[in-house]
Amino acid sequence: MITSSASYAPADGARVRRLVPESGVQAAIWAVVLVCVLAPVLPLVYASVQSKPIYAAGRVFTLAPYRQLFTDPAFWAAAQNTLEFAAITTACSVVLGGSFAVLCSRTDMPGRRAFSRLFIAPIVLPPLGVILGWNALYGPGGYAHGFITQTLHVPLNLTSVPGMAVLGTAVAVPVVFLVCQASLSGTDSSLENAARSAGAPPLSVLGRITVPMLRPALLNAALLIFTLSIESLGIPLVLGSPQGHDFIASYLYNAWSSAFTPDPPIVSAGATVLLACACALLLVRSRLLGDQARFVSIGGRGGPAGGVQLGTILSWVLGAILGLYLLATTFAPIAALALSSVVSELTPLIAPWHLLTLGNWQTIAHGTFAHSILNTVEIALVGGLVTTLVVALATAVAQRSRFRLRRSLPFMLLFPRAIPGLIIGIGFFWAFLLVNPPGGALRNSIWGIMLALSIRSLTLAYFVMSSAFGTVSESMDSAARGAGASWWTSMTRIAFPILKPALYASFILLFISILNDYDPALFLVTPGHEIMGVTMLDAEQQGTIGPVAALAMVQVAITVLAIAVGARLFAPQARGKRNA
Amino acid sequence: MPEITVQGLRKTFGQERALKDISFTVRDKEFLTLLGPSGCGKTTTLMSIAGFQRPDQGAISCGDRTFFDQATKVYLKAEDRNLGLVFQSYAIWPHLTVFGNVAFPLKIRRMKKGALRRRVLETLELVEMAGYASRYPHELSGGQQQRVALARALVYAPAVLLLDEPFSNLDAKLRERARTWLKHLQAELGLTTLFVTHDQDEALSLSDRIVVMNEGSVLQVGSPEDVYHRPATRFVAEFLGHCNVLAARVVTANSAGTTQLVLHANGKPITVSGEDLPAGDEVQLAVRPEAIELTSHESAVAGNTYPAELQSVSFLGDHYLYELSADGLALTVTSTRLLPGPAVTVRIPASACRVLPP
Repeated sequence: MITSSASYAPADGARVRRLVPESGVQAAIWAVVLVCVLAPVLPLVYASVQSKPIYAAGRVFTLAPYRQLFTDPAFWAAAQNTLEFAAITTACSVVLGGSFAVLCSRTDMPGRRAFSRLFIAPIVLPPLGVILGWNALYGPGGYAHGFITQTLHVPLNLTSVPGMAVLGTAVAVPVVFLVCQASLSGTDSSLENAARSAGAPPLSVLGRITVPMLRPALLNAALLIFTLSIESLGIPLVLGSPQGHDFIASYLYNAWSSAFTPDPPIVSAGATVLLACACALLLVRSRLLGDQARFVSIGGRGGPAGGVQLGTILSWVLGAILGLYLLATTFAPIAALALSSVVSELTPLIAPWHLLTLGNWQTIAHGTFAHSILNTVEIALVGGLVTTLVVALATAVAQRSRFRLRRSLPFMLLFPRAIPGLIIGIGFFWAFLLVNPPGGALRNSIWGIMLALSIRSLTLAYFVMSSAFGTVSESMDSAARGAGASWWTSMTRIAFPILKPALYASFILLFISILNDYDPALFLVTPGHEIMGVTMLDAEQQGTIGPVAALAMVQVAITVLAIAVGARLFAPQARGKRNA
Repeated sequence: MPEITVQGLRKTFGQERALKDISFTVRDKEFLTLLGPSGCGKTTTLMSIAGFQRPDQGAISCGDRTFFDQATKVYLKAEDRNLGLVFQSYAIWPHLTVFGNVAFPLKIRRMKKGALRRRVLETLELVEMAGYASRYPHELSGGQQQRVALARALVYAPAVLLLDEPFSNLDAKLRERARTWLKHLQAELGLTTLFVTHDQDEALSLSDRIVVMNEGSVLQVGSPEDVYHRPATRFVAEFLGHCNVLAARVVTANSAGTTQLVLHANGKPITVSGEDLPAGDEVQLAVRPEAIELTSHESAVAGNTYPAELQSVSFLGDHYLYELSADGLALTVTSTRLLPGPAVTVRIPASACRVLPP
């Protein structure tokens, strides 16, 4: 417009040379995920159609393992129990977790910030510890069992399938909560403010605007919980199995560990059947979820994120209910666990102060117990970090690239969670035997276990990342690409920084998940390379409750410490003033 | 429709004073605009009226209803204020159709099904979106979403319409059309409207009155002509359109209702209208580019004429924009005529000079 004598020279190096073409980077990411995911699966499926274990001589192709599986009435009983458990757990945890997330991030309920942290607590608790804590408190002969069944007249039987589902729900709620919260934090609050200025009372805003928009996250979470429930091993092993209520996972575990010949193919066949179920679930999910683009709203200022005002009475009543829930599902079991760690035996018949001892803590300060603590922390740190980065990149390829095979990535990333953890363990056991090197080196160090545990957690990270990517408009990284950034740069400099809360959530989730996981490691552990979960399960099955409780408390302490450090490291910068 | 009264609004965010004693009134059926650069507090003011921001001090009322009064601790919730609010981001609910979006406020008010349907379609007709009732928001263009947002804010006949930069997501052509269309609709329905924008063209063309804000304060309230031709401060002068601001010193008051000054930039005398200026005062003169006259020859008209040199010319379709220098005095002038340069004569009419307060 205005003529000017000053010339505007193009920036030096305006034409950026790319060292590697972007399709190369994307293909490499894709290949890494493919190899990691297939490594345990292919040997497993192969093993399921062999007459003998892979290492044995004279084996032939056969479908006998499947025939054997499907004619076993115990398998069908276990399958029915599993479905019942998964259905109850999924329904209850989605309702509770979703409601809690909405209440904590979209209302003025008192204590919502504290609740937001506390709701995630059950994830950080070691599963075996939680199960033992619940058992000590609510199980038959537990501290609170009499109070609940006789005083409150609630027919709670923790060893029955619905009883186990109550525990399953308590364990699953935090996962739903996290997924929903990640989605809510990415939604423009002006959508709710608009409903309020249109005259909608608070509950109406929540029910008709907030919750319906949460649908993708809720479906995501429901699928996650369902698959998690299907593979539950710890709960039936400790609670149901002794009473004859097996789930598929515990059925397979028992079939494996108590078989006359080691490593029977029927276990691989059972895993393959579960795999098929999971694939079916994935298809249902992609149908139900529909077009996510519908849920992306235009960016912009929405006014202050004040939240829906519930009114004094309602908000305090809800706050009290949430507090009670946390007390019953989290604090009381932890207290029972902590008590177990300092008494020689926890029983309602003898007052605990007569049985006080430090023996449990002295036991875990030495030998295998001490080793396993160090190993576990190392595995969780490295595994959590690497897996978060790999999954973030893989999700970026899946959702924000034109890479030809990108549509296969979600399936590859959802795959590992569908396989029960113990089967991933067997799969890697076979894989390390078949591919050596590096199989031998991995098998004789903690890194083999880390690989197995990380693969198992891939899906968890993907659920967080894909939900988060869904709430960030693609125009953000398109803008970077328009400015001349490569795909890699637009992801690492624009998309990932925007998604920092999700990356943080993913890392924390993975660290905790790997720290507390044990099923795959059952088959990969070698002397000197134990991890806490395996050590605990071994000790628990030998009837040593006290040291297991102490070890669980150590696990809790490490996790709480990790979260505290993480919150400090990753705390987002204080947001500037949002309004003109 | 009732009028909105805002009195002594103050709000602090941490260390920053976002609102410093904001007061104004939106009269019945009036189109009032809060105009200012981003960060001036206009959206905070709007959100305070809407009920999404609680001021620290002051009072807000709508007719005889008190929305907020810090003195008596009255604070009406957003959903009870019965205002129509259009967000900058439109905030169209993605899980509802166009019909569902517009019907929502009526469902909240428990309107019967038949009446509701009629009312929604009527309102969609009004914003020319009747054909899109069954569409989802992601199937609409920006302009269409903006109309749906407006329909949703109008459908329940709110007391007052509040608009937060509703055109900022539209392209220029569409923005102009939307502007005309909104003005018509507002006049036709007699809506009391409070509009927030940083776009001076929007403010000038739409408003009955404009409230110019900066850094949390109201600088001037007046009709578009008022704030344009008689800016109260240098900021107002420069924020609304182009303006030459000339530093000068008062020499003496003349007889014919004019004052004699000396320009700092070139030491030349200049005569301006108005006489109550004490000699020796340092002042600033605001002169609009279109008020300055340009000729290519020595002018016969006496007073405030200066020889000047053209620095640059830009063609802007219906006029030319000249940057020129009169012995070191830099001026921006617009004219419909193309002058052969580089030597020209400028005349600054005494009546075109507005003396700004120091």
